[in-house]
Amino acid sequence: MSGASIKASEIGLTYRLMRRLSFARGRHAPVHHRVETEGRKQFVTALDGVSFELSSGDRLGLIGHNGAGKTTLLKVLYGVYEPTSGSVDISGRVDALFNINLGFRQEATGRRNIVLRGLVTGWKLDQIEARMDEIIAFSELGDFIDMPLKTYSAGMSARLAFSIATSFDPEILLMDEWIGAGDADFRQKAQTRMRELTEKAGIIVLASHSKELLGRVCNKVMTLEDGAIKSLQSIDEWKAAQ
Amino acid sequence: MASPFAEAIGDFHTALKMRPVWMALAQEDIGEQHRRTTLGPSWLLINYLLLVGTFIVVFGYQTDPRAFARYAASGMLVWLYITDIVTLSTSLFVREASFIKGTRLPFSVYVLRLLMQAIIRFGYMALGWAGIMILTGAPVSPGWLWIVPALAVILLATVPAIIVFAVSGAFFPDLQFIMQNLVRVGMFLTPVFWGMDGRIAGLRGHLYTFNPFTHFLEMFREPVLHGTLPVPSFVICTAITLALWPMALYLLGKTRRQIVFVV
Repeated sequence: MSGASIKASEIGLTYRLMRRLSFARGRHAPVHHRVETEGRKQFVTALDGVSFELSSGDRLGLIGHNGAGKTTLLKVLYGVYEPTSGSVDISGRVDALFNINLGFRQEATGRRNIVLRGLVTGWKLDQIEARMDEIIAFSELGDFIDMPLKTYSAGMSARLAFSIATSFDPEILLMDEWIGAGDADFRQKAQTRMRELTEKAGIIVLASHSKELLGRVCNKVMTLEDGAIKSLQSIDEWKAAQ
Repeated sequence: MASPFAEAIGDFHTALKMRPVWMALAQEDIGEQHRRTTLGPSWLLINYLLLVGTFIVVFGYQTDPRAFARYAASGMLVWLYITDIVTLSTSLFVREASFIKGTRLPFSVYVLRLLMQAIIRFGYMALGWAGIMILTGAPVSPGWLWIVPALAVILLATVPAIIVFAVSGAFFPDLQFIMQNLVRVGMFLTPVFWGMDGRIAGLRGHLYTFNPFTHFLEMFREPVLHGTLPVPSFVICTAITLALWPMALYLLGKTRRQIVFVV
């Protein structure tokens, strides 16, 4: 592994709030971001001028209110959203853990989901097969691995998702508030694994509301407000400011 | 920013290289639809045989029943494939919202996956079709080889058609229900089971001639029934296909970045 890095310069993400061309009028999803109206068009500014740099071994915590842009920023880094201004340069293989409902098939078994996730991440079937036992063991799912995902508890799903995402050797791991679901023992195991990942010159970006968790895991903390960076501090500065 | 065409072609090119992904997802779809059933995907075959059988029983008495069976079976095979494509593609991106919001797969992956799914379904129905051909003693001739280019054109038209319907359906969700209704009516407006007697004058004649689906059906059916290539239908279908591609690529390239926000 040759050192991962993320360089974001002035990322902005503005999208038009689509009044869907539909016969059903007047239903709008509530939005927390900044909404601007221009004539009849509505625009949402989800990110605004976000710049930062991360290099090998960095563990960045994202904190901020609901709708501050934490998840949006993670999704830009992962490539789900393309920024409308600015640029992101990433070197290193990225994997992400969002909401468990995203990118998994509820009807398929845990084992099948491991295969699908692996394929989606760009691995070959034999490579996935070679890691299968290790992933299952780490997830502690036992016989549940051959049951459909929809029968899993929230904690079981989170364990599976975490095991998969960390087993395909990501150099950059993006995580969105996943950890609340695991039990204490698993959290301990997960933290060990995250530490190993950063020791191998990886990067972690973790969005969370838990200051305690960020304090334990991260070495930098970014506070977001209305899609913009309010502060970007080292963990010590951040702790001192609390 | 790159041109819409360049973006769409890039998207499509990346997707083509991810064959294992869409193959696996398509298998998953077929399995999922029939999970917990005893007969599994054989239901696709049963549906087809029931539908064709009904038409043969109800309408077959007036003409040569064997020839009519082949006519209706061939027409229905292509028609049901078209129906699958049209109804499944309008809701494609909405159904895939979980993957679209959670992964960075190119959109064409979902398109190719639906194509794969439709081909598998077509395969099951084609078994029934082959059975009917054998039972009715269809005279297989070298002219049947025209089926190959006919299927190739249908396949080449399917991909851009899925893109156009899927993108339109993402921005205009009501399209899904409009198409469901059109398809239901379309089975009667298209010469799936009528028209064999050649009585296609007047309004029926217009429905026959100006319905684009007619030509996709005839392109496949005429080689089967007469061992000949229906040149006009072939030309029309090729023209439609050639027109669909730039339209599909433009739409995909133009809307690619916005789709994630509307599904």
